[in-house]
Amino acid sequence: MGYNLLEALNVQIVGSGDRYLVLAHGLGTDQSVWQRILPLFTPSYRIILYDLVCAGSVNPDYFDFTRYTTLDPYVDDLLNILKSLGVDSCAYVGHSVSAMIGILASIRRPQLFSKLILIGASPRFLNDEDYHGGFEQGEIEKVFSAMEANYEAWVNGFAPLAVGADVPTAVREFSRTLFNMRPDISLFVSRTVFNSDLRGVLGLVRVPCCVIQTARDVSVPASVAEYLRSHLGGRTTVEILRTEGHLPHLTVPALLSQVLRRALSR
Amino acid sequence: MPTSVTAARQFLTEEAARALDEAVAVARRRSHAQTTSLHAVSALLSLPSSTLREACTRTRSSAYPSRLQFRALELSVGVSLDRLPSSKSVEDPPISNSLMAAIKRSQASQRRHPESYHLQQLHSSNNNNANATGCSQAQAILKVELKYLILSILDDPIVSRVFGEAGFRSCDIKLALVRPPVAQVSSRFSRAHCPPIFLCNLTDSVFGRVGYNLLFPGQEDGVDENCKRISEVMAKKSGKSPLLVGVCALEALRAFTESLTKGKSGILDGDLVGSVVISIEKEINEIVNEGNDEKMGLKLKEVEATLEKCNGSGGGGVVLHFGDLKGLIFDGALGDFVSPLVLRLAGLMEVYRRRLWLMGAVDSVEIYRKFCDKFPNVEKDWDLQLLPITSSKSSFDGAYPKSSLMRSFVPFGGLFPTPSDLRSPLSGRNQSIPRCNLCNEKYEQEVDAVKKAGSTVSVADQYSENLPSWLRMAAVDTSRGEDVAKTKAGESMLSAKVLGLQKKWNDICQRLHCTPTVTKLDNPSMSQVPIVKGPQFSRDQNRTSSGDLSINESLFPNQSPSRQIHMQTNFLPKSTPSISCTSEGRNMNFHSVLHVDVPSVTQQTDKDVPWFHHPRQSLSSCSGRTPSSFVPPVTTDLKLGTIYASTSRESNTTKSLNHQEHLQRFSGSVSTEFDANSETTSYQFAQSSSCSGPASAEQFDLGDYKSIRKALAEKVGWQDEAVNSVSQAVSQLRHKYRSFRGINCKGDNWLTFLGPDRVGKKRIASALADVLFGSQECVVSLDLSSQDKLGHSNSIFECKELSSYDEMSRGKTMSDLIAEELRKKPHSVVFLENVDKADYGVQHSLDLAIRTGKFPDSRGREISINNMVLITTSSSITKGNVKVICENKVVKFPEKIILGAKNWQMQILVGSASDDASKSNYMGVRVATVKEASTSTSANKRKTMDVVESSELEKTDTGEREHKVPRSCLDLNFPVEEADEEDMGLGHSKSESMSESSESWLEELFSQVHKKIHFKPFDFDGVADKIVKEISSQCQRTVGTEVALEIGEQVMVQMLAAAWLSDKREAIEDWVAKVLGRSLVEVGQKYNLSPRSVLKLVACEGDVVKEQAPGIRLPAKINLN
Repeated sequence: MGYNLLEALNVQIVGSGDRYLVLAHGLGTDQSVWQRILPLFTPSYRIILYDLVCAGSVNPDYFDFTRYTTLDPYVDDLLNILKSLGVDSCAYVGHSVSAMIGILASIRRPQLFSKLILIGASPRFLNDEDYHGGFEQGEIEKVFSAMEANYEAWVNGFAPLAVGADVPTAVREFSRTLFNMRPDISLFVSRTVFNSDLRGVLGLVRVPCCVIQTARDVSVPASVAEYLRSHLGGRTTVEILRTEGHLPHLTVPALLSQVLRRALSR
Repeated sequence: MPTSVTAARQFLTEEAARALDEAVAVARRRSHAQTTSLHAVSALLSLPSSTLREACTRTRSSAYPSRLQFRALELSVGVSLDRLPSSKSVEDPPISNSLMAAIKRSQASQRRHPESYHLQQLHSSNNNNANATGCSQAQAILKVELKYLILSILDDPIVSRVFGEAGFRSCDIKLALVRPPVAQVSSRFSRAHCPPIFLCNLTDSVFGRVGYNLLFPGQEDGVDENCKRISEVMAKKSGKSPLLVGVCALEALRAFTESLTKGKSGILDGDLVGSVVISIEKEINEIVNEGNDEKMGLKLKEVEATLEKCNGSGGGGVVLHFGDLKGLIFDGALGDFVSPLVLRLAGLMEVYRRRLWLMGAVDSVEIYRKFCDKFPNVEKDWDLQLLPITSSKSSFDGAYPKSSLMRSFVPFGGLFPTPSDLRSPLSGRNQSIPRCNLCNEKYEQEVDAVKKAGSTVSVADQYSENLPSWLRMAAVDTSRGEDVAKTKAGESMLSAKVLGLQKKWNDICQRLHCTPTVTKLDNPSMSQVPIVKGPQFSRDQNRTSSGDLSINESLFPNQSPSRQIHMQTNFLPKSTPSISCTSEGRNMNFHSVLHVDVPSVTQQTDKDVPWFHHPRQSLSSCSGRTPSSFVPPVTTDLKLGTIYASTSRESNTTKSLNHQEHLQRFSGSVSTEFDANSETTSYQFAQSSSCSGPASAEQFDLGDYKSIRKALAEKVGWQDEAVNSVSQAVSQLRHKYRSFRGINCKGDNWLTFLGPDRVGKKRIASALADVLFGSQECVVSLDLSSQDKLGHSNSIFECKELSSYDEMSRGKTMSDLIAEELRKKPHSVVFLENVDKADYGVQHSLDLAIRTGKFPDSRGREISINNMVLITTSSSITKGNVKVICENKVVKFPEKIILGAKNWQMQILVGSASDDASKSNYMGVRVATVKEASTSTSANKRKTMDVVESSELEKTDTGEREHKVPRSCLDLNFPVEEADEEDMGLGHSKSESMSESSESWLEELFSQVHKKIHFKPFDFDGVADKIVKEISSQCQRTVGTEVALEIGEQVMVQMLAAAWLSDKREAIEDWVAKVLGRSLVEVGQKYNLSPRSVLKLVACEGDVVKEQAPGIRLPAKINLN
């Protein structure tokens, strides 16, 4: 029956290496976001690609509003995928929400992951007393109501902001995938993500991590990377990409894959 | 960019379109600039017998009187409409993007839910629902039904807010819409009884979690994920005391204990049943702050007593909840009170391991670590299990309706009986098919639905009203001109068919069973069969009753009997699996459908090819052939679809021509009858008419090669060898299919064109399309390299639409783009240029395609390419291909330059040769002058040559630069030069590795294709010589022998490109004679040309040709200076 999950989430394995590498996309994108990164890794890795259940490319019927209220069901999905593929060790590259999912998954199954690479990761998006997550609760509510009011306008405004760098193709690609999501789902998932708080559990991570962060990212302030480095339980390194935006895999695939390669080899 | 109303309307059924018109009218009345979902809602509510209103009635809460609530709804809709800014009134306010997106979504969901569609159909016929008319009209081109439109409009957050204001929950309305009133009573029960396929269900079974029923049965009652996970931990044998970790942990802990104490005790199972929650949080506080451990002692005694009781009664237990762990590691002097407590608890745990659960929460792991440092054994003693908690449920409450929203979208295959099955006399038999018990209820229902559809198709005369359009013909005469004998024939045919069906379904069932993988996701796509056929039910009924078809009948007055018999014979082999190739073909066809989760319309037609052949066969049977001779073509056609389509009309017998005519007339009449249907039907009938050729003319094989070659050579005269080998390959291909009955060797229908001559390749492709599929339009032509190129502006080739997909490629990956095109044209020549430059995704897709016969897009959906001929081209020559094309000949006009030709206007300048003394030497030799000027190789024209060279360089440069453009964009992101370096370095390694891998990939791909065909370079130099000769003679004739003519490099290139592109061979000569000649005459008249004058024919850069000469891509007029 596991196969159904693989079908439903469009799981694909590409590449011919002997090691597994999971590429997990973030919110508002789908697995196609990795396609500029893929060619560099296919010779040396077997790459597992999948879509989060909230992605526009997944049949929205699979999105159970009563189930996906926290990140844990997403983790379940990931672990189930790996289980049904018979993977017993893999490196994991996760972007944004998938970075969070990766963290949680590695807490649950530390031996399954040899390495976590977290792109644009944040344990908590909202500010707190002694934590700067980049967003205030009020701001977020505004964003949500903007999404509610006019999803399309929000997408059009948000996409360039998120992409950050002036790369029209990336903006276009991101808008496309973002718009593919059903508005109510993306709203719901955004709420889930903004409600999540991983700060307390970071210490449970035992897997070596590499935090990749761009120099300027609207959703993740630079301090967050430092926070992750000091709080993640495993051996953690931070790589700052000299570029802007939340989606380096769309805007600077070449640079990112170089860093990825370096991080994976360590 | 809003969409125009007419554009949006074409996606909708009549009823939905009416609703849309209404919405547009609302927007117009309020003089809003766009028609939004709100307008649509307003219109939907005001429609007479409004489905939406009816659904609202059913869902409204009983708290308010319905009249009031509707009033409130109208008000809130009105108010939010008032809030929209008004502008000057537009005739038809265009559809806003959000509404358009809703339409698109509904289209998608309709496609996804064939069975609910089907059910809806049943219900609508039962209930005489307003939807009945709407759904009956959905065509093979999926038109959105009103219900789905409403459903997706309700998705719009702004709409659900409006409904919310009036006290409606849009999710409930959706539910009511999807669930017809009949099922209302038992809906809750049935929902619980038969959960739809959610991932959770799937994963449940993956984990076997169903085994211990800890999951909350009433998940929809709002027990959240955290609680679920906590109880999961508690159900374990060891490590069963959850310690929640995370910022929200405490909150989650509270929520859980609350729900436990609140008596939702049903949520716990097994050992946990009847356990009580005892909190020692307060006591801990006291102990830590005041050193007062009396109360704690009492409490623990109480706990112990309870535990003792539990042990005695053999049930229940204690969940001892100590709250925040932080309380226990207070660093103060009172800390020593804690260790006895810890030990005490450990002791309790030791004794009552099975009955006691400790529970607590902690902010972060660090605190827990500290605690562990103090009490190193605590984890084991307390049997603790860390549980990361990442979000608290409470923040969700009220923020979002915890809806069963999604459920409304889930196919309900299993919920309702399908009464119509009972009508079928065959259904009994069908149902008795032994199928594996393991297939669950839902699956069975789905299979039933499909089965029914299958039987509808096959059991033509029994269900004439259910017939798909392409079978209707047959149905017509069977139902009309019926007599006893025929019925008998029909019956025997039926039984044969049913046997076949039974077998087939058993097969499928088995397959599903052995590989459960296919089960769930595939079935919906299979049962999409009813969706295609369903729409026509009522229509057909109408038509048969109205007797429109009498015309058609009269067209085939005496053909019916023979057709009957023939159908029978043809059906037999087809449906009996014992004839392996046919059944294989069937399976394959099914297979291809199976793997596509959202099958598009084109795929449906694709899949339908085998069905659709019946009428054709029967028709050709009338041409006097014996039935038996027809079986082979049937099978091959099943395989190939229409690959032979029109091999040759020329050789059709008059008889079959006659039939074609009939068919055409028939299709004509059909198309007028169903205006909406016309496209599909006529397409199918057109297909059938072209198909009848090969079927009735088997001897064709022999003449095949020659006829193809002739057709190709007509188009591309200069590529003799390539034309020969292409036609050889194609005729081989056909022959193979025919003789082996379509044992499809993969890659058979793939050709590769190597070498230069882009235009020639393209021409051959379109000529092939003409030969194979009957129209030059049946070409899917994509340039794989041009994705990242910026379009060359004003290129002469551009007008030819060599690379015209810029618009549509926006925001799509290349492989998706290809897939989309393939879907649009299922029978076509697929012409993929520059396959060597394909990006990774395309490489991967092509790889799979050549191996499996199915082209996957980036999401893994597959499109069958068995009915296509795929041509990949590459200008580069890989190592494996030794044949050297350019024998190091110095080429004056390489193809690269010609490809850069621009479509500029030309002009003639008049100058004097006096400034160039050397020129006088050449005065007498016009040809030489002209030639030299044009080709610019003459030594004494260094200057021109330099210019030419530099322009050449420029051109090649731009070619490369175009590749680099995207990266140079990226450079903007690197603030400093070192980043640049990094990028450069990487760029290198990337391109290297890319080129390496893609080269090996290319070789592998090419090794699998049926045939590689090498193209010669187009002889531009020869053509140039010819043109120059032509021009010089023209010049001599018009302006006399004295005057020299100099032809600019650009103009020469332009002329060569035009000659290359033109269809006729003499087009360029014509142009020289007419256009240039006329201009030269004019020049002669206008200027006083002395022997020393030099005429220059140059391009006006930046000035695009406005008016083209007929038959060639050159200006119709040449400007004079």
